[in-house]
Amino acid sequence: MPISNDVLTRNNVKVIGTGSKTLMLAHGFGCDQNMWRFITPVLEKKFKIVLFDYVGSGSSDLSQYDKERYSGLEGYAKDIIEIGEALQLSGAIFIGHSVSSIIGTLASIEVPTLFSKMIMICPSPCFLNFPPDYLGGFEKQDLLELLNLMDKNYIGWANYLAPLVMGDNNPSELTGELSSSFCSTDPVVAKGFAKATFLSDYRHILKDIKQPTLIFQSKNDSLASPEIGRFINENITGSELEVVEADGHCLHMTHPEQITNSIFEYLNK
Amino acid sequence: MKDKQTTLDSAISTYTLNNLPNGVFITDVSKDIVYCNDYFSTELEWEPDALIGKSADIIFTLASKVFYQTYLIPTLLHEKICEEMQLTMINGKGIRIPITVNVKSDNAGLIYWSFFNATKRDKLYEELIQARETLEQQAEQLKLLASTDELTTLLNRREMKYRSTLAIELAVRSHHSVALIQLDIDHFKKVNDVYGHPEGDRVLKELGIRLKEFSRKTDLVSRFGGEEFLILLNDTNQQDAILFCQRLHQLIGEVKAGENYIKASIGLTISTPDSIFKTLYAEVDAALYKAKESGRNKTELYNRTGIKNINSMP
Repeated sequence: MPISNDVLTRNNVKVIGTGSKTLMLAHGFGCDQNMWRFITPVLEKKFKIVLFDYVGSGSSDLSQYDKERYSGLEGYAKDIIEIGEALQLSGAIFIGHSVSSIIGTLASIEVPTLFSKMIMICPSPCFLNFPPDYLGGFEKQDLLELLNLMDKNYIGWANYLAPLVMGDNNPSELTGELSSSFCSTDPVVAKGFAKATFLSDYRHILKDIKQPTLIFQSKNDSLASPEIGRFINENITGSELEVVEADGHCLHMTHPEQITNSIFEYLNK
Repeated sequence: MKDKQTTLDSAISTYTLNNLPNGVFITDVSKDIVYCNDYFSTELEWEPDALIGKSADIIFTLASKVFYQTYLIPTLLHEKICEEMQLTMINGKGIRIPITVNVKSDNAGLIYWSFFNATKRDKLYEELIQARETLEQQAEQLKLLASTDELTTLLNRREMKYRSTLAIELAVRSHHSVALIQLDIDHFKKVNDVYGHPEGDRVLKELGIRLKEFSRKTDLVSRFGGEEFLILLNDTNQQDAILFCQRLHQLIGEVKAGENYIKASIGLTISTPDSIFKTLYAEVDAALYKAKESGRNKTELYNRTGIKNINSMP
């Protein structure tokens, strides 16, 4: 078992804020903990907040990247579990963006005491289409081609997914800011994370979530449609769905006030 | 000479983007196509003017769309230019064509696209990617071969030394202790002599599997020599290590060689803040020697004031 200090350094863990309850904020693919900065100033007044970068993202320790471990989302879930152990977390509230909602779910199933509530922002348990029952948005060929284009274009991965997560109609300054310096991901790792994210199918684990769950979905999101939100809502007992009138895949950045208000309301119930 | 120049001037004066052997199009702020050259009709089998006013989305595959939305457009926001992107275009008949694109934008929000068919270059990329993947697989395979013992699939001597050194350094930094255990099957030569080498190999293999299953994922288990196994238990104190060794004797006692159950002698040592692999190995080796000297089938713990038998088992 890794030593706790090593885990905290490895995942660039930051603990901020004060409060009796702890929130763990988990960033999505192609980004790092900085993506939470629009909502942390408000949240940290009432909660203790745990921020971190998955191994390979942001300022994590890249030397700890293990191709095999991180070939599936379970490896990333281990990061969450190990951070939870290092900080001795129990009954914390998990907030995950996009794929992290699924990663957090895997962690909550593995260690049921870790989280007492789950909050998912624009989640998708599967990006593949399985018509007619489930439409994740992409055919396998599309996703393989996407991964293939990542190989063929020698580009700065820091910029990856920027406007898509922001949505087409969001101000270009915001998109520009995000794409220039907001997120940092190693190219080699990004490919592995992309594979684990886009080619996985975790629809079957939703029914195993025992925690009350709040799902935010954007009305217009190229990566996760409101239908996917409804599918998740139907498959998690005791979950609530809030479809936000918005564009893009990054509601906590484009609509921070609405998201934090809903979070407060949900946690005060 | 003058006539030739006139002809040339005349030809150039009538030359337009439609004469160029590459595709050119312009999109507006809404990503709608406002201009495209004849390349789209002559080479890409689109009906002339069929694309004007349509979204650029219809000439790209979904993956390319994601790619240009997520990379190309933000790059244009910053740099006003983006060069040598490979994307996949769809022609008028729905065929996918790899292209290399250069794009620039102006202050009015118009985007100017110019691209070449990259089918042959794409084949080369495919071959390169394939070659890289093959190399990666081979490198992994070689690493595995170089670090594991063929018979037992445990770590081999070299890898064990390397990883133990790192584990001991980490333990020192983190103020934890590790336990090093050396295990030697008693009278193993007899197993080979009486039952033959294939049976000897089977015993080593079975013991190897059991040791691996018995240990935690974070422990290091190796075949260090012929019938000698070296185990490093991470983050383990003396009390837990002694318990581990007692259970180890039980585990070993379940392995049969021919008709008889095997037994083993075990040396054990616990690291101190100034331990390095070399000294720990010398300690554990001395402890094992003592275990063998004093009757075998027992564990001896090395301690700095001498070696003591901690194994009450026969």
